[in-house]
Amino acid sequence: MTPAVHLDGITKRFPGVVANDNVDLRVEEGSVHALLGENGAGKTTLMNVLYGLYQPTEGTVRVNGEPRSFASPSDAIDIGIGMIHQHFMLVDPMTIAENVVLGNEPRKYGGLLIDRERARKEVLELSDKYGFNVDPDARIEEVSVGVQQRVEILKALYRGAEILILDEPTAVLTPQEVEELFEVFDELTSQGKTIIFITHKLGEAMHAADDITILRNGKNVGSLDAKGVTREDLAQRMVGREVLMEPQVTPQEPGEVTLDVSHLHVEDTRGVEAVSDVSFSVRSGEIFGIAGVDGNGQSELVEAITGLTNPTDGDITYRGRQLESMTRRERIDSGIAYVPEDRHERGMVMPFNLVQNGILGSQHTSEFAPSGRINWETAGAHATEIIEEYDVRPPTAEATAESLSGGNQQKFIVGREFDRDPELVVATHPTRGVDIGAMEFIHERIQELRANGKAILLISSKLEEVQGLSDRLAVMHEGEFSGIVDPSSVTEEQIGLLMAGESISGGENAALREEDVA
Amino acid sequence: MRENAEQNQDQELKKSLIDRFKSLSYVWQIIVGTIGVLALIGVVGLLFPASPAGDLARIIFRWSVFTQALRISAPIALAAIGGIFAEKSGVINIGLEGLLIISAFTAVLVTAMIGPAETVAFIPAIWIGFLAGVLAGVILSALFGIVCIEFKADQIIAGLAVWLIALGLAPFASTLYFGGRDTGSLGTTIGNWPIAIMLLSVLAAWVLLNHTTFGSYIRAAGENPKALDTAGVSVSRIRHAGVLLSGFFAGMGGASLSLSIGLFIGTGETMVEGRGFIAIVAYLFGNYNPVGAFGASLLFGGLDAIQIRLQQIGYGIPDTLVQTIPYIVVILVLAFVGRTRIPKAAGKHYETEE
Repeated sequence: MTPAVHLDGITKRFPGVVANDNVDLRVEEGSVHALLGENGAGKTTLMNVLYGLYQPTEGTVRVNGEPRSFASPSDAIDIGIGMIHQHFMLVDPMTIAENVVLGNEPRKYGGLLIDRERARKEVLELSDKYGFNVDPDARIEEVSVGVQQRVEILKALYRGAEILILDEPTAVLTPQEVEELFEVFDELTSQGKTIIFITHKLGEAMHAADDITILRNGKNVGSLDAKGVTREDLAQRMVGREVLMEPQVTPQEPGEVTLDVSHLHVEDTRGVEAVSDVSFSVRSGEIFGIAGVDGNGQSELVEAITGLTNPTDGDITYRGRQLESMTRRERIDSGIAYVPEDRHERGMVMPFNLVQNGILGSQHTSEFAPSGRINWETAGAHATEIIEEYDVRPPTAEATAESLSGGNQQKFIVGREFDRDPELVVATHPTRGVDIGAMEFIHERIQELRANGKAILLISSKLEEVQGLSDRLAVMHEGEFSGIVDPSSVTEEQIGLLMAGESISGGENAALREEDVA
Repeated sequence: MRENAEQNQDQELKKSLIDRFKSLSYVWQIIVGTIGVLALIGVVGLLFPASPAGDLARIIFRWSVFTQALRISAPIALAAIGGIFAEKSGVINIGLEGLLIISAFTAVLVTAMIGPAETVAFIPAIWIGFLAGVLAGVILSALFGIVCIEFKADQIIAGLAVWLIALGLAPFASTLYFGGRDTGSLGTTIGNWPIAIMLLSVLAAWVLLNHTTFGSYIRAAGENPKALDTAGVSVSRIRHAGVLLSGFFAGMGGASLSLSIGLFIGTGETMVEGRGFIAIVAYLFGNYNPVGAFGASLLFGGLDAIQIRLQQIGYGIPDTLVQTIPYIVVILVLAFVGRTRIPKAAGKHYETEE
């Protein structure tokens, strides 16, 4: 049978970089194909070639057997290829129907006005056909991320897509929404559509795909039938060596309470309560994890602790001191390290070089500014130290932050914060955007901090990360802790339920919560 | 006991009225609020005809004051509609004032050049002048659009430049042609036509913005240009169109302003006197809705008309004080109501990827 998509020897070079190196890819019609690889393995570049965003340096794109060359995405759309990007391309104040038809609106009165009624009807029909269950009149800003994603898929289908490319579709979803997405995949393929999805999560590839192609350093290192593959095999191909599958936590008795949060209320920038009555404590030598879908109050909670926002009510005590009366600088000086979630906005000053970025937050200390003026030699040595220890590439301290890839920026920030010799580390998505090798390294360093008796507050949307590392795990939903659980005794499904705001039964967890109060 | 219950009922009624008012859409709140205030003045005026409220009521409920209010508000409302199109598409056009000045002057200039009493192809010179004024607004806005969209200049600075250019150019050209900063009277006006033009424009702009594909592209370009780009529509083309429309509507506003009295005044801040900036206030107040912007313009125009009449019957209210009202209103609205929703991508340049 002719494959729906056949990429034949695709090479894509950018100045100084080979993003794809002679990649072959065959995707059968009506199948789900996972494109698996680490960050920077060339998955998205390859799909952008198929979608017409990039022209291949070498190689041929064949769709349904015919060689094609696309000058732009609209050529690809014309022959039935649709791509759903990681960041949704939706207009928030418009309705779902308006978004779906944007650019291809049905019209009335000789093309003068938009035919809203027909647009609504067509979107509704399309939605029903694939069981999407969306309300065409709802505004994008009113619906959940999962629904927004379905709107993106609807947009592609409305334009007649037969082949759908999804770039990291599960990154923003709760486990339940991921399940629903995979059901949508089934519905789509059963009606003859072909799906390619990009992921770096092994479990998803094995669970949802019929075939898996693994990319590493821009090369195809294997196309496999999803049945019968093992996680170890996939991981090894992705990374090119044996990897530790789960971070291993050695049991350890935690020490004194370092951070105590009690009945905390925090409002977000719009004045809406984002954290409602949250209480917990983190002890030295303990990793306290917070899981949850982004936007359920984690950011506001973290900002209240690090001093970027003021809580409306409640107390935060840090090593016996009221945190609220401490300025941001005092908090840093007293040993609170902070890995922010938005590295562009909070983590680094983009046009600064790494020397300058390396002393952010400690620019006033006697170490770097003994006489009030910054000693750039010490600062330079410090930056070089971080770069070497955390394998930041390119390894030049003079490089500006913006010239680094996201993963390397992240490594540098983590290095800077962990090297402060902190008492409390507030780490938000510490491994976001970094590859598996660096992830392992960062996990090891977090465990090292724990072994040295530091308190760690770990916030991550990666379930396996928080679950694997934490001693105790809280799940946050709509500003509240829907539960504090022992991460080793709950399943991923149970955490998923908590993330969706439901409660799980089990005496053990209740006990854990009580212990926390005491 | 019974009294208590009545009081409760009373309170409940009050509460439900307030709730109902709050649940109205923003534009309707303004309309209902305005009618309420007018009704209050009317009732008090009827009860105490000799009081200042009585004077006020007599002024407000007079047809000539109403048409005067409409006339005053026409240039503001037209410029505001223009501003809506530019900003909805993602380009903040702070240069509306300049567009009003240049079109007001050009309209008078062209009319005078043809000869106010002449006709060209059966069209009276004053209407050729009107069209020339509109064209001048469009041309200046086109320059603004090119600088902002193609060369990615800062929109605020470029907008201020538009204002300053017009502020210098119009009186200068007037001095060259008419021998003074003021043009002198044409001896003819377009009468109340600006009112009709404004009302038609409000309707047309509303339909265009909310019921056509073009309007939906304008809104998308200002909210999430990437979404529009991936849908295969050129963002820069839509933004150019939005800016040109701002020149078109503001051009009609400027031409209306000068031709309704038949001369151009170029001294000081020129006869436009900040109407372009009040227009920005008007469309923010009207939450980017042409109808809302019209309502806000009418409110400002109405206050101005009342003030003029109050002066005439001997109340010494300083006009400069009345002129600050729009700005005080906008600060109050933005600070306390905060319902104005600024397009997310307004003021941000957009670059298509490879």
